[in-house]
Amino acid sequence: MQVNGTNTIETRPLVFAGFSVSSWAFAIRVWLACLLALYASFWLQLEVPSSAAITVAILALPTRGQGLEKAGFRLFATAIGVAASIAIAGFFSQTGGLLLAVLGVWVGLCVYAAGMLDGNRAYAAALSCITVALIAIQQIDSPQQVFPTGVARGAALVIGVLAVAFINDVLAAPDYHPVVANRLAVLHRQIMSYAESVLRGETTSVSVTASMLKEVTALRPEIASLHTESSSGTARSTAARSAMVDLVATLFLARALAMLPAAARPTSGTIIQDEHRPDLLAMCRGRIESELLRKDAEVRGSLDALRNGAHPAVSHRAPLYRCRRIAAENGVRAAICFTLIAALFVTAGWPTTEVALSLVAVIIGLGTTAPDPRKFTAIAILATPVSCLLAGILRYFVFNGVSEFPLLAIGLAPVVIGLALLISLPNPLLSSLGRLSLVFTLAILAPTNPQSYDPNVFLITCTLACLAAILTFAAQILVPPLSSNRRLELLLREARSDRGGLGVARHRHLTSEEAAYHDATRVQQIAAAGGADQSVLDEAMRCFDRSVAVRRCNAELDDLQDGPLAEAAEIARAALARRDAGTVLTAAAALHEAAARRSLPADSACAALVLSAVALSPSASESIGKRQS
Amino acid sequence: MTHTYSELIIDGVLVAPIVSYAAIALLMFFLLRPLLHFAGFGRLFSNPSLAELSLYVTMFGLLTLFF
Repeated sequence: MQVNGTNTIETRPLVFAGFSVSSWAFAIRVWLACLLALYASFWLQLEVPSSAAITVAILALPTRGQGLEKAGFRLFATAIGVAASIAIAGFFSQTGGLLLAVLGVWVGLCVYAAGMLDGNRAYAAALSCITVALIAIQQIDSPQQVFPTGVARGAALVIGVLAVAFINDVLAAPDYHPVVANRLAVLHRQIMSYAESVLRGETTSVSVTASMLKEVTALRPEIASLHTESSSGTARSTAARSAMVDLVATLFLARALAMLPAAARPTSGTIIQDEHRPDLLAMCRGRIESELLRKDAEVRGSLDALRNGAHPAVSHRAPLYRCRRIAAENGVRAAICFTLIAALFVTAGWPTTEVALSLVAVIIGLGTTAPDPRKFTAIAILATPVSCLLAGILRYFVFNGVSEFPLLAIGLAPVVIGLALLISLPNPLLSSLGRLSLVFTLAILAPTNPQSYDPNVFLITCTLACLAAILTFAAQILVPPLSSNRRLELLLREARSDRGGLGVARHRHLTSEEAAYHDATRVQQIAAAGGADQSVLDEAMRCFDRSVAVRRCNAELDDLQDGPLAEAAEIARAALARRDAGTVLTAAAALHEAAARRSLPADSACAALVLSAVALSPSASESIGKRQS
Repeated sequence: MTHTYSELIIDGVLVAPIVSYAAIALLMFFLLRPLLHFAGFGRLFSNPSLAELSLYVTMFGLLTLFF
């Protein structure tokens, strides 16, 4: 099997002051978009011009497509949040404690929705919570102001989105599809090289295959953002998605090849020994090899379509696996955290605590989109004093009473460009710190026309911002977010039950490749929760192999159910339902014989049955585990 | 003769004409996208995104002028 080799020329990027030129270009784009958003907001006399600047900071992403997709979801989520704010304020404004409980329930619902989605969709769910926090909670004592506040926020957001889109278009922000195409091509090479090593009889660690699967599935949200990039975006997004789904199918086929020789050994006790077995195994191996070659060609075709901006020959969906139980537990915990802090503020009776409470909801909401919510809160604790300090320096040392826009532009430059450079760093901790600091600095500085320089207001805002971050962290110690071990336990339980056939019927509408991708996203989450634990990865991959093999087999048997081999196919399906390797292999032999008697083609169904038998056989799985570790 | 703009009224809430025009132009632009892809619009320009933005602005301007 020949791996498609492409010669890539490594070019050293130009570096200035430790940052690449592309990072500097990104930072300057963010600064210019920020200025444009503020200028337009001042000119239009919007009530909250700072929201436009904050929108720019949130949409500060290095490529145009990613920014536009996030902008679309930001506007959509704001509309939902404003509608929810009006409904909550309308129904519960005079109900005291019940209002806070309803807000807690809304926070929980949004966190649940964010847990069931990924990428910018999860961000939109979190933003629905944040919008309610910034509109309904901040106007908790004046519900009649909820609608005007919502309209003002919506207008500022639109200005921010337009500023980002305009600056990115005019200054030719780079496209993302070459990066995605490059990453998919690298993964394709890695998977095909793994397949070659399997054919040569070499061993590969299970962590390597799990890591490849994780990297492939992690591309899903990024591929979705290609859609907004240009008029060819839809075609490119479809091509990239098909390549990604086919890569998962290719990796499964390579693993299937690795399984077969191990199961073929005569010491395997559970697989029935009969005269047809060597033939069936050889036929199964041949079918998998030819399918692997076909998938390789399909991936290459999809990658070419991605580069050329054309629709691929084969189009796949990429269904996402999410554990409802994990999302629900996270939602309940977030709701409890929020209600606890709200109850504390009500008991304390401090004035203007609605600002702190809204910031608590913001931190909880944004934390759900981060891999570890508690770590995110810890970064927020670090980012709030940094932002207060930066905003204080800007307000009282740099500006100190000035009201001219050019001076605002010059004064903002070092902070915005510096923090945008921090965002562009590959280190996720520093990047998150940069983004949060930029957003909080602009929120605390709150540029308005005319600018307020009241130190009393500034000090109270800073104190409440720091207090909100600390209280959220304290609440998360009392009611901790779901631990990695618990997540792992729930994910593995679902993976094991899927192997038992519970999930097979649920995904009948998916093609076998799409169902394999769905299962691969579960492996990705198990790998994320379990770290690099070899036994966990091994079990996750075995569950993946079994569920995909059984699902492919069911699909093949479905094709035979209306023909002359329907009876044999039904017997095979019954054997498959028993999940016994020996019975399945016998059924495969019976189907093979029945097809041979009538001179009908059933090789693919027989091969799928043999593969299922091998995947279901515990001794075969153990052999594969030994072979791969 | 001065061109008059009528406000969109949604359940008693007045929506500024510029917002309606911008939204309609955006909708039209999204409907036009498959056609632009088919015609190879992106390959005609060195900065396709700027060309698409210009097309949107043109559509928005024409809508404002004639409707």
